[in-house]
Amino acid sequence: MYLIKNWTLLLLLICSALTAAAQQKVTGRVTDAAGNGIPGVTVRIQQSNRGTITDVNGRYSLDAAAGNTLIFSFTGYKSHQAIVSGTAMDVQLQEDYANLDEVVITGLATSVKRSNLANAVATISAKELYGVAPAQTFDAALSGKIPGALITANSGAPGGGISVKMRGITSIFGNSQPLYVVDGVFISNISVPAGLNIVTAAASAGNPQNQDNPSSRVADINPDDIENIEILKGASAAAIYGSKAAAGVIIITTKKGSSLGKTTVRLMQDIGFTKVRKLLGMRRFTEETAFEKGGATDRDLFIAARDAGKLYDYEKELYGETGLISNTGVSVSGGNERTGVYFSANRRSEEGIIKNTGYLNNSVRLNVDHKLNDRISVGMRATYMNTSSDRGLTNNDNNSVTYGVALSNTPEYVELHPDALGNYPANPAGTNFIETRDKLRNNETVNRVITGGEMKAVLHENDQTNTKLIVRGGIDFFNLKTEAIFPRTLQFMKGGLNGVSIQGNTNNLNTNLMGILVNYMEANPNLSLTTSVGATLETSYMDNLIATATNLLPQQTNVDQASNSQLSQFRQKYRDNGIFIQEDVLIMDAITASAGVRFDRSTNNGNYKKYFVLPKASLSWNLAKMDFWNIPAINSFKLRAAYGEAGNVPPYGAKFLALTASNIGGQPGSLVDIQLGNEAIEQERQTELEAGLDISFFNGRLSLEATYYQKKIKDLLLRRSVPPSSGFAQQWVNGGDLQNKGVELSLNATPVNTRKVRWQSTVNFWKNTSEITRLDIPAFPLGAFGNSLGNFLIEEGKSATQIIGTIGTGKGIGVLGNSEPDFQMSFFNDLTLFTNLSLRVMMHWKKGGDNINLTEFLSDAAATSHDYDDDDDGNGVKDGLDRMNAFGAGEARYFVQDASYFRIREIGLYYNIPIPQNRIISAVNVGVSANNWFTFTKYRSYDPESSNFGSNTISTSTSRGSTGISTGVEVTPYPASKRAMFHLGITF
Amino acid sequence: MKQYKFLQTIFLTGALLAACQKGEIPNLNTPVAGSTDSKEEIDNLVTGLESSMRFTLNTYFDAVSILGREIYRFSSSEPRYVTELMGQGELNNNTFYITNPWTSRYRAVRQGNTILDAAANASFLTEEQKKGYSGFVKTIMAHQLLMNLTLTHSNGIRTDVKNLSQLGPIKPAAEALADIAALLDEGKADLTGSAIDFPLSDGFANFKTPAGLLRFNRALAARVAVYRQQWAAALTALNESFFDLNGPFSTGIYHVFSNASGDQLNNLFLPRNNTGESRLAHPSYATDITAGDDRIGKAALRTDAVTLNGLTSNRDVWIYTTNTSPIAIIRNEELILIYAEAKINLNQFPDAVVAINRIRTGHNLPVYVGAISQAALITEMLRQRRYSLFAEGHRWVDMRRYGRLAELPNTRPNDKVWENFPIPLTESN
Repeated sequence: MYLIKNWTLLLLLICSALTAAAQQKVTGRVTDAAGNGIPGVTVRIQQSNRGTITDVNGRYSLDAAAGNTLIFSFTGYKSHQAIVSGTAMDVQLQEDYANLDEVVITGLATSVKRSNLANAVATISAKELYGVAPAQTFDAALSGKIPGALITANSGAPGGGISVKMRGITSIFGNSQPLYVVDGVFISNISVPAGLNIVTAAASAGNPQNQDNPSSRVADINPDDIENIEILKGASAAAIYGSKAAAGVIIITTKKGSSLGKTTVRLMQDIGFTKVRKLLGMRRFTEETAFEKGGATDRDLFIAARDAGKLYDYEKELYGETGLISNTGVSVSGGNERTGVYFSANRRSEEGIIKNTGYLNNSVRLNVDHKLNDRISVGMRATYMNTSSDRGLTNNDNNSVTYGVALSNTPEYVELHPDALGNYPANPAGTNFIETRDKLRNNETVNRVITGGEMKAVLHENDQTNTKLIVRGGIDFFNLKTEAIFPRTLQFMKGGLNGVSIQGNTNNLNTNLMGILVNYMEANPNLSLTTSVGATLETSYMDNLIATATNLLPQQTNVDQASNSQLSQFRQKYRDNGIFIQEDVLIMDAITASAGVRFDRSTNNGNYKKYFVLPKASLSWNLAKMDFWNIPAINSFKLRAAYGEAGNVPPYGAKFLALTASNIGGQPGSLVDIQLGNEAIEQERQTELEAGLDISFFNGRLSLEATYYQKKIKDLLLRRSVPPSSGFAQQWVNGGDLQNKGVELSLNATPVNTRKVRWQSTVNFWKNTSEITRLDIPAFPLGAFGNSLGNFLIEEGKSATQIIGTIGTGKGIGVLGNSEPDFQMSFFNDLTLFTNLSLRVMMHWKKGGDNINLTEFLSDAAATSHDYDDDDDGNGVKDGLDRMNAFGAGEARYFVQDASYFRIREIGLYYNIPIPQNRIISAVNVGVSANNWFTFTKYRSYDPESSNFGSNTISTSTSRGSTGISTGVEVTPYPASKRAMFHLGITF
Repeated sequence: MKQYKFLQTIFLTGALLAACQKGEIPNLNTPVAGSTDSKEEIDNLVTGLESSMRFTLNTYFDAVSILGREIYRFSSSEPRYVTELMGQGELNNNTFYITNPWTSRYRAVRQGNTILDAAANASFLTEEQKKGYSGFVKTIMAHQLLMNLTLTHSNGIRTDVKNLSQLGPIKPAAEALADIAALLDEGKADLTGSAIDFPLSDGFANFKTPAGLLRFNRALAARVAVYRQQWAAALTALNESFFDLNGPFSTGIYHVFSNASGDQLNNLFLPRNNTGESRLAHPSYATDITAGDDRIGKAALRTDAVTLNGLTSNRDVWIYTTNTSPIAIIRNEELILIYAEAKINLNQFPDAVVAINRIRTGHNLPVYVGAISQAALITEMLRQRRYSLFAEGHRWVDMRRYGRLAELPNTRPNDKVWENFPIPLTESN
């Protein structure tokens, strides 16, 4: 370390001697087409690192020599070059409709202008993310905005839980969710279950996967802090992230302090409400149907309830609450040329559509950037978040205790409301979910700190070349406290567990550190070379401790206030490191070639010392920038191709054959696990080839981005089913190949752009198909509850997401559907009138893609479904009975249902109130918005987006985590909600 | 010069990062299999074996009792209890009712094989201790295999599963039973002259010695012998077991449960009058019972009848009255009935009637006055087994053994009684 310091100093000394002479002060103003000054424009002298930024009025001044070329660049505008010829230079920037000059981060420390980019990297701006109609959580706000992604809400519960799958299935049993990088910090997005299985027994029969419905941790981030998001969808773009990049990388950049010398303070307040998107209704009984359902007992109950006017719509009572949403934030952004500070504080609170559920998120953030001198700059990002979500008790169970399962069993004529003394009657048809809802507590509280720092030092520079050292480190620490309290007076606690308190405590620490050297060399104005070389290290340690107490004292929640207790602990730890080198070549600002290689290893691999080699290469050629180009209507015509490899490490513990604890008679016991470890387990390897064409017409007023990709995942990590008579159920193997192919089209247009009216429109289309191209092990079913209820089947030569099921007694199984959509489209329109009024609409169409709907099944089985008595097919048999008869005859077809939808995801109307010039308030905006308000679907349950198994739930010693396949399996979920909000923002 | 420094910096940065590497990360959560080097660790494995015998017993007993028309199982979240298991459609070979119990029993067998290996290779054990481990473990393994064979019966089971990369063939019932009997005999041979020097739960109270475990082993052997229709062998085994014609019915070996950490609760327990999830006596249990039979207490009257999919019952199964009530592995009441069965089949009717009367009078019934013929006595013996061993996993097996499954009642037109469960799908992999 001491040595490095000396060398750095030495280099600095050498380099500073190279500063040139003959300088003069150049001043000017940068304006837009309308003549308004643009603040924040970067003004840089070509072939040097010197530059400045325009002030609030768009003015700048810097030292430059005559003949120097100044480059003016700013997001949203085309960059502009001008040669210094005097002391004054005013510049007008053209709007960059197609975002061609937008800078996209492509390496760990390098970036490329969009017009030269070789990959289809989706960028989501703050306005697109959260500026239309804010979603419940940051991850939910991505829905429909990433071409190539299938984003599904696992649950409607406050606090979210989102599955993001980029370009199809990337892993079946390994991590299937993208890596989230916030300002260079690799954050954790695990879902930690609360240990509810002791009460729900959800994982005890049909499927051993955890079904606790935990939230995902990426939702902790305050969306208002986000400046923009870049999405690297697959290995071709993300290879530089190595063995963490297989499922894509979502790079989040938070806001920076401005360097304009003026401090802006922004206050914002949103207020709104949330309602259930859809209710199904209850079955309306008659004396006759009540008798059919439950004999004389039920008929008498029905008559008594009807005559007393006590037929209830329990579904509405349970899911029909209107939740209040409030979002309060303040942000302060300020600084000068050397130091920028951004501070924000935010409080989001939200009530759920079920009583006693809700979400609260408090966060503060401080981002500081400081230039020590011309050569060294440091940046610090720190955020603290505190979230609390009350999740209720939904999803599958095998003890009839969750709200939905109990509701599905309850006819309208039973009485569940408390009597005058506050005693809840027992539900003769299940458990009293009204009581459960009123008394239960299922809370997740998170305290989390994400902090990162970056140091950039110019080790050496001259007119042609410079070398930078970038050191970046980050820490993501959270403590998750789960608390589930089931008081002993609950119907299903009496005489059994007699009250349960489940207290979970999880500490998770992720760290990452990287050092990168970047050498930039401009051999001549037509050729520049960027070489980067670096090393990375990531570690993670998670410690999950769950204490479960049963036979709990009344009113008490401490685990020692009970007669019995159980403890369980699960820890996991890994350390990954990598070394990479990358070379980028830019020729004539038109041809970009890039090649790199990364060497990665991980302690989760069977051989922790083995380095995996992950190469990448890409080439793009923008023909319109060539001299021969003579079609003025087309100002960008780019052909591009990229190839890359990435990995996906096995889950922690895949290499061990564990002995799990299993005690009896007060003696400690060790029991051979049913999961057979594999000491030779290796990471999955993904190769992705992507090619595309980007065309921009009429100065960017119309642009098209077309991409085709082929993504192969080799040596799939599989939990092979072994013959259970061996005593094992599964073994980890690398046993197959999977391929995804797809297209992504994106059309951007600005059909109208006048002073008074401006209309911008984006249409995206994307489609993916997958195939299991090799499977070394026999085809195996997974993901749901057995073939007679619809299941997934991994089979060579077939789609990875095919849904199969039994097709009748004695006929075996057949294909019944596929969870992959036929295609998806999204439409974004932004209409601005008279510069101050803007209407933004985001629509999302998912065509095809099937779900396994078992909510309907449970209602049918209990003869309570709302359409039980209908006869849509006119065969004289009630529909509910039809469905049950089909199931009785061994047919699973009714459970597999088309989950297509067309959704107006976001609609927002905003107005900047014109205010007289004053010294205090600079802007006031108001707006109204609706999120997920209109959905058109034929799917026969609450919402086509649902997943009983979550998406990123960890496996522990006692429970199995999520698979990459089983989204879209629905069992009485927390119904999805819609939101309407009013927004107020004041800028000082 | 510059280039050289550049490279040096790279290597130094790399070296700094590499310096943080500190070797492999072990399993932080549990011991790893294959590393037993102390007696305590083998004892832990034995405790694990005993504990594992209890996994998914609820699924096993529910499935077998539904097929034997002893119970209904109503569950608002799992309708297959009242459809597939009652004979509608078909039994699926990849559904929990077969896969879960099958996997759990073979898991115990794997544990047994692990202990046999560990004990055989242990330098720190005496010969007597080794015999103790292997005698106990083989007895348990035989019991676990028998439970799986009960499910699949003529579809068979694997009895040789020692080598997991080369599992033995699936053998049909007769051969599998012979293997199980042989394994019990090996267990007997090992237990003879052994030292039992490992802890067992109180489910084995009074049977924790070599002699006690031998009596347990022979009780199982008697059960296997009647399944094989080896009547004389059954009587021989009974003589070496804890069979006691005049002893308490409940004497025997049990699975025990507790609230202690890492232990399990009896998941066959459901509170009385439970809704949503109920385990109900088949109505015929009460309608067929002789007045005065105290075994009616095992089917407690509910406050309300429950109906689901056209099935109705007003009685809860009430054998396990708390969530820590023990579940019998084998008990004297069954041995008395085995004695009766063997005697009937050997045409030694007076002895058989003595045993039957012991059961009848023990349950508040008058002595047997029916016909004294093999056919009549078999019917009576099966009837006593039905009531004495209610919901303990015998009725379906008994009716199958005597080819009487067609006599079991079907309330709904599409119901039928399955003869056996399919071999789990993944077994063919």
